[in-house]
Amino acid sequence: MTLYFGVALVAAAVVLFVLQPVVKGVHASLERADDELTETEARKRVALLALRDVEYDFLSGKLDEQDYRSLKGELTAEALAALEADEASKAGGGVNEILEAEIIKLREGFNSGATCHSCSYMNVEGSLFCSACGFVLTEPVAR
Amino acid sequence: MTILGEFALWISLPVAAFGMVLGYAGGRTQRGDLVLSAERTIYAVFGLLLVASIGVTAAFLGDRFEYWYVANYSNANLEVFYKVTGLWAGQRGSLLFWALLLALFAVITVMTNQKKNREFMPYVAGVLQTILLFFIVVLLFADVNPFERLAFTPADGRGLNPQLQNYWMTIHPPTLYLGFTAFTIPFAFAVAALLNGRLDARWIQLTRRWILTSWLFLSVGIVFGMRWAYEELGWGGYWFWDPVENASLLPWLTATAFLHSIQIQENRGMLKVWNMSLVLLTFLLTIFATFLTRSGLIESVHSFAQELKIAYIFLGFMGAVLAASVVLILYRLPQLRSENQIESFLSRESAFLFNNLLLLGAAFSVMWGTMFPLISEGFTGQEISVGPPFFERVNFPIGLLLLTLVGIGPVIAWRRATKRNLQKNFTLPVTVGAATGMVLFGLGARHELPLVTWSISAFVLTVIVTEFWKGTRARARIEGEGHVLAFFHLITRNRRRWGGYIVHVGFVLMCIGFAGAGYNTDSRFNVEPGDVVSLASPFGHQYDLTYEGLSMSIGRGERNLLWQAIATVSVSQDGTPKGILTTEKRQYTNRDTQPMTEVGIRSIVSEDLYLILSAMNDTGGALRNDPGAQGIDLQVLIKPLVNWIWIGCLFITLGTVIALWPSVDRVRLAREKAEGSSELAAAGAH
Repeated sequence: MTLYFGVALVAAAVVLFVLQPVVKGVHASLERADDELTETEARKRVALLALRDVEYDFLSGKLDEQDYRSLKGELTAEALAALEADEASKAGGGVNEILEAEIIKLREGFNSGATCHSCSYMNVEGSLFCSACGFVLTEPVAR
Repeated sequence: MTILGEFALWISLPVAAFGMVLGYAGGRTQRGDLVLSAERTIYAVFGLLLVASIGVTAAFLGDRFEYWYVANYSNANLEVFYKVTGLWAGQRGSLLFWALLLALFAVITVMTNQKKNREFMPYVAGVLQTILLFFIVVLLFADVNPFERLAFTPADGRGLNPQLQNYWMTIHPPTLYLGFTAFTIPFAFAVAALLNGRLDARWIQLTRRWILTSWLFLSVGIVFGMRWAYEELGWGGYWFWDPVENASLLPWLTATAFLHSIQIQENRGMLKVWNMSLVLLTFLLTIFATFLTRSGLIESVHSFAQELKIAYIFLGFMGAVLAASVVLILYRLPQLRSENQIESFLSRESAFLFNNLLLLGAAFSVMWGTMFPLISEGFTGQEISVGPPFFERVNFPIGLLLLTLVGIGPVIAWRRATKRNLQKNFTLPVTVGAATGMVLFGLGARHELPLVTWSISAFVLTVIVTEFWKGTRARARIEGEGHVLAFFHLITRNRRRWGGYIVHVGFVLMCIGFAGAGYNTDSRFNVEPGDVVSLASPFGHQYDLTYEGLSMSIGRGERNLLWQAIATVSVSQDGTPKGILTTEKRQYTNRDTQPMTEVGIRSIVSEDLYLILSAMNDTGGALRNDPGAQGIDLQVLIKPLVNWIWIGCLFITLGTVIALWPSVDRVRLAREKAEGSSELAAAGAH
């Protein structure tokens, strides 16, 4: 009897442990972590490592100068392309974020009256005149 | 405890099934709660299988002979050590042990990926639970339940086969199983990549350590098995191309191919379909190896009938995995296209490719030779056995070509090698190889195969040593370091490359050792106490062996021994005494077996002296301690270079551990990442 009770207890504990996330709505992340290399970063890394290897092969005397130059030229071109692709992908993401932040700032400025209605310059909160064009800022601008 | 273990095994069945469904569903619907639940089922299944395994061990320790498994693999007199290892002494326990190890690795995978690689984890959990579920189903429904009870309780068990009562035999199966099960993790990630569509080299990078770990355990496990055969089977060999040995070699061959071909995908974005296929194939072969060694199928088709159920379940599972994987690969084929093409036949890429073809060729021939008797018996009703000559004829040339590639690979240039590149790097090694061959020939070596093997080995070792030397010299010059420090830094800054080279050195040493078998000598003498026999070693020295006599010890069932006959032989080498060696015959009580032989081995770097007590002239007389019945048949083997095989294995272990160690670059990279610097200046700096 004790045995069956023990077994039932173990089974119940397992069920509770397993089902708890579903019942309580505890979620595990399914997102890609930030610190992973992106695809372009990985390509860049491979290209740089290949350059490192060819450099090493030359310095240790495994490649002669002519072979080294031809391989290095090719690999450098690939590495540059990889670098450019990586930067482009980074900038691509960055520009959008910068633009969005700018728009939000402008909107807030218009609301508080700090952004010049005439030239859109963002003045320090509480300014009376626009530092850029001298336009009067005292009146909050109507939207 | 045992009954609790039995219940735990039953409970693990629905939990694993549920986890499998949750994993796939969580991945499909991208619901984090389902995935978390799936991951928890992995912890639960591990806990339950652990309880089940403890249950089996408790049954062994408690001499619970009402259990079929305990009754067949243990008896009251068995040493406690072998009772504990009884878990993997037979088929039923090993299958449970397999599942337990896999569950352990699954838990490690889930624990180490709580914060990273999350996009893979739902399907990884699903795949791992699928495989665990398979093993649990086998255990419960294929007539191999370790908790099965007999209709009656025998007074004592049948005992453990004496040949398995050996130190190597207790660590050989677990090591091999660790290798088999560890390979399931890369397989799970590969399938997850196919399912979630992230098909860049990411899945390879994040399972690289698992692949290496698995490969290391497989290699060491196989060598442990060789060592056991060498010491325990008493015929002086370490490899007999036995189906069970072949079964463990198959996944090793494809895993080795995989280990090399992933480098091409990482470096050049090629061979994506090939790598997917190799990881799938290797996984299937680990299952196949387990099936072959643990289903009793191969010994004879007649045992097939008894084990029909397990065979069908295994074949069905392997078929299903194969079909599902092929469908997935075909479905993702457009994304698995190569980013580059091989530019030249003379390039490191093509050397890698050639290496892969050779390894796969070897795997195919071993598979064919292993399965052929079965196939022929199935079709014609006549069993045609395929012996070592077949395997050797096919695999020796393949082995020699592979050995040669080990020398070519490291120095041939990526993309395309020019004639100058080849001349520059191969002049010295080829000269050394040729010179070695000539010197050995001059010294009297006439067997072709060893001569060729040793010459190629000299070529390869020269290449590798030159690599180390050139690297150290270049580093010392550039960094202004002393040579010792430069050598150390050379390895630590690129552990993967230099660790790999050390593994290659190990492989070469093993090949040198294998080739030594060409000079084995085998002599038999009938000797009486005081007789001296003389033998010449292939290395030129002479052994004088004096047979001192036979001592009998009559056991009273302790350690299951009925009697033990110990022959003592004094060894002297070129007139210098080198101690004594003993070789024994043992009769065990519990099994209806022939007397077992324990060999005496004197091992030095150049060769092993291997003594076998083949037979006693008058066993009955010897048992009565009759002074006139001390004569024996003494078999004396001289086995050159056997030790090099074990030393080679040490190098392989060392090299793999170096390659597994976290590299400085990685640590630095992680730190730079943390500091917000994504510039990879470190990668460019050597």
